[in-house]
Amino acid sequence: MTFTLASSLEEALDAVAAGATPIAGGTDLVVAARGGRTPLPESLVAIDRIPGLDTVTTHEGGLRLGATVSHATIASHPDIVRYFAGLADGSALVGSPATRNVGTIGGNVMNASPAMDTGAPLVVLGASVELASVAGTRVVTVDDLWTAPGVTSASSDELCTAVLLPAQPENSASAYVRLEYRRAMEIAVVGAATRVVLDGDGAVTSVDLALTAVAPTILRVTALDVAGSSIAAAADAAREAASMQATPISDIRASDSYRRHTVGIMAGRAVEAAAGRAAGEQISVPVNRAFGIGAPA
Amino acid sequence: MLSVDISKFLRADGPDKVTGSGRYSADISLTGMAHAKFLYAGVASARITTLDTAAAKAIPGVFAVLTQADVPDIRFGSVADRYLFAKDVVRFEGEVVAAVAAVDADTAQRAVDAIVFEYDALPVVNDIEAALEPDAPLVHEDWESYSARRIVMDRNIASQTILTLGDADAALADADLVIEGRYIADASHAAPIEPRGVVAQWEGDKVTIWTSSQVPFQARDGVCETLELPTNRVRIIVPHLGGGFGGKCGFHYEAHIAALARAARRPVRLVFSRREEFLAPDRRREGMIVELTTGLRSDGTIAARKARILLDYGAYSSDATFFPHMAAMHALGPYKIDNVYAESSAVYTNRQPSGSVRAPTAPQACWALETHTDELAAAVGMDPVAFRRLNGVDTGASGVSGQVFDAIGLQECITLATEDVGYGDVLPGDEAIGVAIGWWPSFPGASGAYVKLDSDGKGVIVTGAQECGTGAVMTLPYLVANELGMQPEDFELVYQDTSAAPYDVGATGSQTLLNNGIATIEASYQIASRLREIAASMLEAEADDIVLENGHAHVDGSPDTAIPIARLARRANHTGMLIGKGARIAPPDPKTSISAIGDQGVSSFAGPQFSCHAVRVKLDRDTGVARVLAVSAAHDSGTIVNPIGAAGQVEGGVLMGIGQALTERTEYDDKGRQVNPALLDYKLQTFADAPPISVQFVEVFTPDMGPHGAKAIAEAPNVATAAAISNALGKLVGLPMRELPMTSERVWRAIQAVGS
Repeated sequence: MTFTLASSLEEALDAVAAGATPIAGGTDLVVAARGGRTPLPESLVAIDRIPGLDTVTTHEGGLRLGATVSHATIASHPDIVRYFAGLADGSALVGSPATRNVGTIGGNVMNASPAMDTGAPLVVLGASVELASVAGTRVVTVDDLWTAPGVTSASSDELCTAVLLPAQPENSASAYVRLEYRRAMEIAVVGAATRVVLDGDGAVTSVDLALTAVAPTILRVTALDVAGSSIAAAADAAREAASMQATPISDIRASDSYRRHTVGIMAGRAVEAAAGRAAGEQISVPVNRAFGIGAPA
Repeated sequence: MLSVDISKFLRADGPDKVTGSGRYSADISLTGMAHAKFLYAGVASARITTLDTAAAKAIPGVFAVLTQADVPDIRFGSVADRYLFAKDVVRFEGEVVAAVAAVDADTAQRAVDAIVFEYDALPVVNDIEAALEPDAPLVHEDWESYSARRIVMDRNIASQTILTLGDADAALADADLVIEGRYIADASHAAPIEPRGVVAQWEGDKVTIWTSSQVPFQARDGVCETLELPTNRVRIIVPHLGGGFGGKCGFHYEAHIAALARAARRPVRLVFSRREEFLAPDRRREGMIVELTTGLRSDGTIAARKARILLDYGAYSSDATFFPHMAAMHALGPYKIDNVYAESSAVYTNRQPSGSVRAPTAPQACWALETHTDELAAAVGMDPVAFRRLNGVDTGASGVSGQVFDAIGLQECITLATEDVGYGDVLPGDEAIGVAIGWWPSFPGASGAYVKLDSDGKGVIVTGAQECGTGAVMTLPYLVANELGMQPEDFELVYQDTSAAPYDVGATGSQTLLNNGIATIEASYQIASRLREIAASMLEAEADDIVLENGHAHVDGSPDTAIPIARLARRANHTGMLIGKGARIAPPDPKTSISAIGDQGVSSFAGPQFSCHAVRVKLDRDTGVARVLAVSAAHDSGTIVNPIGAAGQVEGGVLMGIGQALTERTEYDDKGRQVNPALLDYKLQTFADAPPISVQFVEVFTPDMGPHGAKAIAEAPNVATAAAISNALGKLVGLPMRELPMTSERVWRAIQAVGS
């Protein structure tokens, strides 16, 4: 087994090109190995000490989150909480305080779990990831990144270096809610994220909706035409579309029918929360605690 | 009450545990130590056709590979139904087939993987009702040859108890109203934070074993029985124990590792993974089916009750032969009923064996009974709390086994808990308050301790008692200091070492402070008596007039002429040393008038404890997710010796009860294998989930039980919480809960059922 401690991005990219698996917080790799599911890779390159990879900077009117920005940072960063609240909602629910302190956005994104809490928010926010290799850098939308459970379209020599959040429309806001059986150390049973854009009169212009843990990858809900409708009507439409388009499985956490029902409930609540935020209502992060969604306060 | 200040109880083991300086079994490391791994059956029911360890033994770095062929051919257990290693057949997935000791854990695992283990699958007994069918396959073909003294066995019935008081059938026929209910509880786990570790080292023909056990003397006895050793050549030491909750009661892997260490000719250490901790030990909380039939008179009193109970016993008898009897007592409950009949059977299955987990059988049976009780109250149009007041036992009343209770505080518990939670207040439409009552015995039994004062006046308590985290052993210095007029900090503890200390049952049955507290106080009396004699000779007074106070001895009424106890101790070395010994002798059990077939000795509740839990629950009707907003728990556990420790037990018991109520569940696939042996999907409650828990005690002085009038405390708080939550959910949903745990999806389905 080899373990490379990368002190620069170039070193990390060389190691990845040579077959090493990147590790930052280790909250997926180490837990999977300890749980006996997937042994640790033979070759690891630690990227958590690369200078600058853990910073949040402005980028084309939006934000650029370095790959090793932690969930704890995302959940509390003023610009993220203000403009990309749905992502902060997601990061604030990941694992425990310890998980959030070491777990990174880059790791979460590249682990490509259909149950990841940041996935649905990133989809509705129109996020992309920056993939670097010794050959150069390219940008891929998250919709194009996740291809199957645990599988991405990145090639094996590519390293995620950043997540890019584009500028959001005027009068818009996002929210992510999930169904949870307990309030910490939890994985989403189902979840839903929305970005709601309102017009000047408080009616809905558009709703983007993505769902967690009801399909092989994060699922973007399509054909949700709610322009001009009231928030309540948009929430109803989101509820119906989410339950309709979800393709959940039955497992230890829930049956398919319960998931199909509750993902609709989560979608409707996410629309109400995001619309409330877009209308200027102060709804703190995470929505699950503010509204008591999933686990009533 | 104690004269020593216990209101700021400081645990002597606290700093070790908080700072990380404490040593647990997995921290023990010895020179030349090898590492153990087990080969498990991995299949619930099979006949072994090949078990070949040659290839494993040939791997460099492998020191020993053992199977049942390498250890004495001894069947053990409470009905002697098992061997250390699987012999001919395997009966549950976590059964140990072989053990390896190797230079490191990876090599040991490679050797495990190299063992040729082949088998023919046998039918899996995976359903306790199907297991009773006449043509059901037998988990133990040889059951008739087992040594089942006092235990009623029949094919797949591993232990059965039938209780009869009065004439339940006749009383039911005469009753104004008869209500029936069927309740099903899933299995669950103790899930202590520390996965167990065992280290064994031989020196000549003696072995020292460090192990994560709650019951070191039982562990020792298991080693002695299975490896044919006398007790004085087996020394069990328990380093700090990282929780147990019953899961570390009994005898587990101490003999496997001792045998491995002997064969490997070097020390061997076993450390479990979380997955192993879930799958292998014979200490799971059993699944249960409870069917209740209760006859009521029109005035709301209970005329009769019948109970039929099936318990999922798993593949082997651990300590669970008394479970049917105990479950029956809890299904009948702390009520005044003159006519009862209970038929309760533990049923062998090809699953992990059941064993003592905190208040074994009580949370599930209480949940069934108390859910049923709310149905009874509704049937006669009574408020459920008033119904419990009317029918619940009280001082002087006769309970379901004909035991007449001395002074008890159940009725006051009901008052305190319901008032505290705000029972009767107007609540939002998605909230409700549920109430349940419970009971649990104290277990007086043998227990010993020594106390000595050395020449500087500092003391050591050498106790057989085991500290499983409750603080019971940590309370002993307060009891001793109280008798000797000294401070708790004047005493150190030597504990959890079977060769150093006299016998104790272990941290099981909430009995530690109850029994060892008596033994330790008795030992202190002898030292106090010697100190008084020495002081009397120095002060030219009668020994009876000497007062021990503030670290000094003085003549009663003359506190100004006081001699430091340290000075008395120095003198004692020349006049007979300060050594005390104490041994608890259990009082006789209270009388009962019930008839018991398959009597396992729990018709009588010595030092009976009572509780009332009242919970306020909020329900998200769209999803079925329930959240407990507040819990008020009132307990009669006799005098409370250590208020902080006792409150901690109640808080912990309640939180464990919330988990059992809502999220904790071990699920099996159709082949008898656990689906969720991991903490992500076996959902314990977290601190983020914990509601405010209000704890109140009804301190009824109870003679001849624990120290200073105490009863036990550790298990009783785990009895009634799930039941109270069930009754809150029953109100919110409009249907009684029939399955435990009451998961969000189950609650949601009940809501759908009401709606349709």
